[in-house]
Amino acid sequence: MNVNDSIVVVLVSSAIFYGTPLVFAALGELLAERSGVLNLGVEGMMLMGAVTAFWSVQHLSGPGWLVLLLATLIGGLAALAVSIIHAVLVVGLRANQIVSGLALTIFAGATGLSSYVGNVGKLGGQPAHHEFNALNVLGLADLPVVGPILFHQNALVYASWALVLIAMAYLHRTRTGLHLRAVGESPQTADVMGVNVARYRYAHTLVGGLFAGVGGAYFSLAITPNWIDGMTSGAGWIAIALVIFAFWRPEMTLAGAYLFGLFSSLGFVLQARQVHLPPEVFASLPYLMTVVVLVAVSTGWAKQRLGAPAALGTPYVREER
Amino acid sequence: MRIQRRLTTPRWLVVAVPAASLVAAFAAAAIVLVVAGKDPIATYSRLLDRAFLAPGALSGTLVTATPLLFTGLAAAAAFRIRLWNIGGEGQLYLGAVGASGVGLVLHNQPAAVIIAGMIGGGLVAGAAWATIPGLLKAYFNTNEIITSLMLNYVASLVLTYLIFDSRSFWRDLSTFSARAFPQGKPLPDAASWPTVGAGLAVIPFGFFVGVLAASALWLMYRSTIFGFQARVLGDSPPAARYAGIKTRRLVVAMMALSGALAGLGGASEIGDFRHVLDPRGLQQSGFGYSGIVVAALARYNPFAVAVVAFLLGGLANAGYSLQGPDFPAGLVGVLQGMILFFALGGELLLRYRVSFQ
Amino acid sequence: MTSATAGAAPAVAMRSITKRFPGVLANDSVDFEAREGEVHALLGENGAGKSTLASILAGLYRPDAGEIEIHGRKVEFHSPRDAMAAGVSMVHQHFRLAASLTVADNIVLGHRGTPWLRTNPATIDSHVAELAKRYRMPVNPRARIWQLSVGEQQRVEILKSLYRGARILILDEPTSLLTPQEADDLFETLRRMTAEGRTIVFVSHKLEELMAVSDRVTVLRGGRLVGTVVTSETTPPQLAQMMIGREVVFAPSREARDLTGGKVVLELRGVSADGDLGIRAVNDVSLAIRAGEIVGIAGVSGNGQRQLAEAISGARARTAGDVLASGARLRNGDPEDAIARGVAHVPEDRLGTGVSPSLSVADNLILKSHRRPPIAMRGVLRRDRIAANARDLMSRFSVAAPGPETPTRLLSGGNVQKVVLARELSSQPKAIVAANPTRGLDVGATENVRSLLLKAAADGVGILLISEDLDEILTLADRIAVIYEGRIVGVVPRDEADVQQIGLMMAGASAAPTLPPLKPS
Repeated sequence: MNVNDSIVVVLVSSAIFYGTPLVFAALGELLAERSGVLNLGVEGMMLMGAVTAFWSVQHLSGPGWLVLLLATLIGGLAALAVSIIHAVLVVGLRANQIVSGLALTIFAGATGLSSYVGNVGKLGGQPAHHEFNALNVLGLADLPVVGPILFHQNALVYASWALVLIAMAYLHRTRTGLHLRAVGESPQTADVMGVNVARYRYAHTLVGGLFAGVGGAYFSLAITPNWIDGMTSGAGWIAIALVIFAFWRPEMTLAGAYLFGLFSSLGFVLQARQVHLPPEVFASLPYLMTVVVLVAVSTGWAKQRLGAPAALGTPYVREER
Repeated sequence: MRIQRRLTTPRWLVVAVPAASLVAAFAAAAIVLVVAGKDPIATYSRLLDRAFLAPGALSGTLVTATPLLFTGLAAAAAFRIRLWNIGGEGQLYLGAVGASGVGLVLHNQPAAVIIAGMIGGGLVAGAAWATIPGLLKAYFNTNEIITSLMLNYVASLVLTYLIFDSRSFWRDLSTFSARAFPQGKPLPDAASWPTVGAGLAVIPFGFFVGVLAASALWLMYRSTIFGFQARVLGDSPPAARYAGIKTRRLVVAMMALSGALAGLGGASEIGDFRHVLDPRGLQQSGFGYSGIVVAALARYNPFAVAVVAFLLGGLANAGYSLQGPDFPAGLVGVLQGMILFFALGGELLLRYRVSFQ
Repeated sequence: MTSATAGAAPAVAMRSITKRFPGVLANDSVDFEAREGEVHALLGENGAGKSTLASILAGLYRPDAGEIEIHGRKVEFHSPRDAMAAGVSMVHQHFRLAASLTVADNIVLGHRGTPWLRTNPATIDSHVAELAKRYRMPVNPRARIWQLSVGEQQRVEILKSLYRGARILILDEPTSLLTPQEADDLFETLRRMTAEGRTIVFVSHKLEELMAVSDRVTVLRGGRLVGTVVTSETTPPQLAQMMIGREVVFAPSREARDLTGGKVVLELRGVSADGDLGIRAVNDVSLAIRAGEIVGIAGVSGNGQRQLAEAISGARARTAGDVLASGARLRNGDPEDAIARGVAHVPEDRLGTGVSPSLSVADNLILKSHRRPPIAMRGVLRRDRIAANARDLMSRFSVAAPGPETPTRLLSGGNVQKVVLARELSSQPKAIVAANPTRGLDVGATENVRSLLLKAAADGVGILLISEDLDEILTLADRIAVIYEGRIVGVVPRDEADVQQIGLMMAGASAAPTLPPLKPS
């Protein structure tokens, strides 16, 4: 048997495949949280991305790669548009970030706008005209082990890797990234040093929306190339947990997302191999794992200075001028 | 725009702002409807009709409002003291599991016993599920938003497992078709909670229980030692520790209380309406999350929660009954979301004085 | 001390500055002027308006009226950045530093001159190190702020300003958190800076310091300018009078009392406790306080005072040792036990810890007594008793508030402290631990607090007074202990107290003055 058909290789490459939307969404939420804004509306934003990207793919014509590119972008922009509501409420109007994020999920999610768009546009029950297929990068897709894992993924997977690298450089090697970190740590300090706190929070919340939308588009354009109401099934919520899991570090979102992806695909893969365990056991593993890791992360030594932007979740008001 | 924190909020504003936000929300939604090619006045009057006015509408509204009342109270109880219990959804599911389990076990008992047992089962199961994030928060300082949220998914999977992927006690294995098409074991007739006919509407027993719970919650915060300590903790954890309040136990107790209320909602779902453990129905309703919306709109006041639950229940009920090609699913969510957005925006005016320069 | 060229425009000229906040006129048509190469002190009590004036100069607030000129040029600051562009920078009392970022990050933050893309972070680090060396303020550019001592953090604050080429530095109560040695180092640095022609505006209420370091002093009182004097031509009593507006009678010392026979109401035996970051903060402290005695613990802020108070009251777990209240051992880490055994605690952070700010005055007055009759019966609070209790205490202690249902955070600092004291004293404690009870209060409120403490002592309550205000301790205490790095380094009766020696002990320089000097044989 070819080693590339072995369970390990299949699992790892599926993990990457299924984990990629989480990478996008988590990266976006990470940037928003680094600026101090908690956005619980990721699920809603992803669903907006999924439905608008699907709509685009069904209605735009042109070469496949261009349509997919545009559709992905449109998905991202739709989610960004929706995230503006959260940004205005939370940054401009000092609203409670938790309630606002939940409102966003209700507004845009499976019982809201994305469902509305999907139903009105009659997008259900039809296959996508274009989908993201696995590429054969440099012709190396058949290399043992690394072939399927690294060289046989779709374009969005590679885009996610690039994005992670860019995010890392952004945070630690640029002036803007430093300002961002300061805004999330101590908005008073950043403000006094002349950094426009509100602008950074707006900008990064919107970027969070953009990335979430791309993550959502992945569902309707790569995972199951059709549209179903609520098709992300909670991936947005996992992404939120992932950010914490990853200590607010971009490179760690890869590790976490793939772990989650692993568990998603484990259920299918094992069933295909006649291993009988209730699928719910596997399906619940990511959530339980998040809880366990969170507990470990939040006790004593890790709690102190290891990650959470200190000003996360609190509105910043500079009261008098 | 210049904003300045208010020292006190004038009484009239506390009433005017929420009212104004509601009006603004409907106005904005009207614009959305027009853009979507629908007549807002007609849509609103249909909604109003199907929510409250049409024959049977009030009863239907109460069906939706009752679980919202419980999950709204659950959220209000916790959020008021800054315990962000997002797990009402899962706690409700577990409450339903607990209540239906007790109802099935006690199937030979008289109605009063079964119903009492179901209430107990719902309370205990919901409380237990909420205790997990409570303990983690109290003793490990783990963020309760994420833990309670994650447990929602686990609870949902438990529900699915009990009926769809196992041969559990809750599952109906008595007939061939029941075995082929998984469903829950129906509860005995005695386990159906009574109703009160009041002219226009049929009021479920659960609704009374909910109003009672609201009163109890209000009294608790106002006049008990426990409620006082909870208020101090919610306001200033250092002051609570300084005052000798056992903060960790209090956090766990408050989470358990919140979970118990949501669990009661689950019990009511079974006893008042479904009479069988119905995973899909519960999972699609999203009562837990909607309850948070209710609590936020009600500004965490238990009696206001009842009113808001009733109104939002009406909106949801109208949405269900109007659903069709003419009134796509999703419109209700959009409306709910907009109401919440405007209410949140209005909050600014209550907490801060805004002036333009 | 240098003098500016006659006829040249002053570095800073503020004319007729007026600033109003809700309920208070912070600056009332104030004039202020500072010359190049000068250290100019801004003196005033809490609430006199000196911090507001300084903040206006730094661009944090905009004046309602008046104008500012920097080096003869009229300016209008809309933000600290505008001020920085004009060469004005402020070093705040409470540092504006992002704790988890590095020193270099903090210094460079917001500075447009640094390149956007940092291909090699080490370059910035070396720039920072170089600047620090030039001013002889060594810091490690890669250290995280939370790892630094207070003095080092202040250096980072100052370096921030120097990095941006500030010509006019405003220092807001810079020595409030420093040891005497660190303060001297700071003054050295300031002299070096003025020698380069920079201007220092030094905001303070510490007379001795101002006399030592400044060239001129401007005094504010009640938002108005009282006057500007040359330091070498004035004296502390004169400045104090300008500051307070009446003959200041430095409070008469208490009668030395013989308290050796009294019962021990509070005893610490080898108490140790850790700080928030896990390092030992209180180190083997033993002390006994008798009924009616006031034992003062003097020390510079940050030597374990807060942790000691918390270890006694139960808010912090002890890692070693015992605390006994009237002979009974208190349960570790259990504030309820301490309260039940008659140990009251007036905490340092009155609004953050001492009261629940959004709760009403009435609720805060029962904050500790809410568990027992007559306030509570069988789990239920008796609202009538709560109201009666509030009326009684508010009148006895003259708490000024619209009513007992007023949210406590609306009260002035002095009245919040009255609420705290009313509550603590009315519980008829045997011992009181009071931490910085008069910090941030105006003269009237301070007098009030001190007289309440004295009265309690006269009634037989043992008081442990922990204070960073040495004058306060010298005035009130019967015995004076000094805490340094968590240890008690000396205890003296008040009439044997030598201020200089105490100052040295506060800086960790010597120990055990309780032993009589050896006589030469």
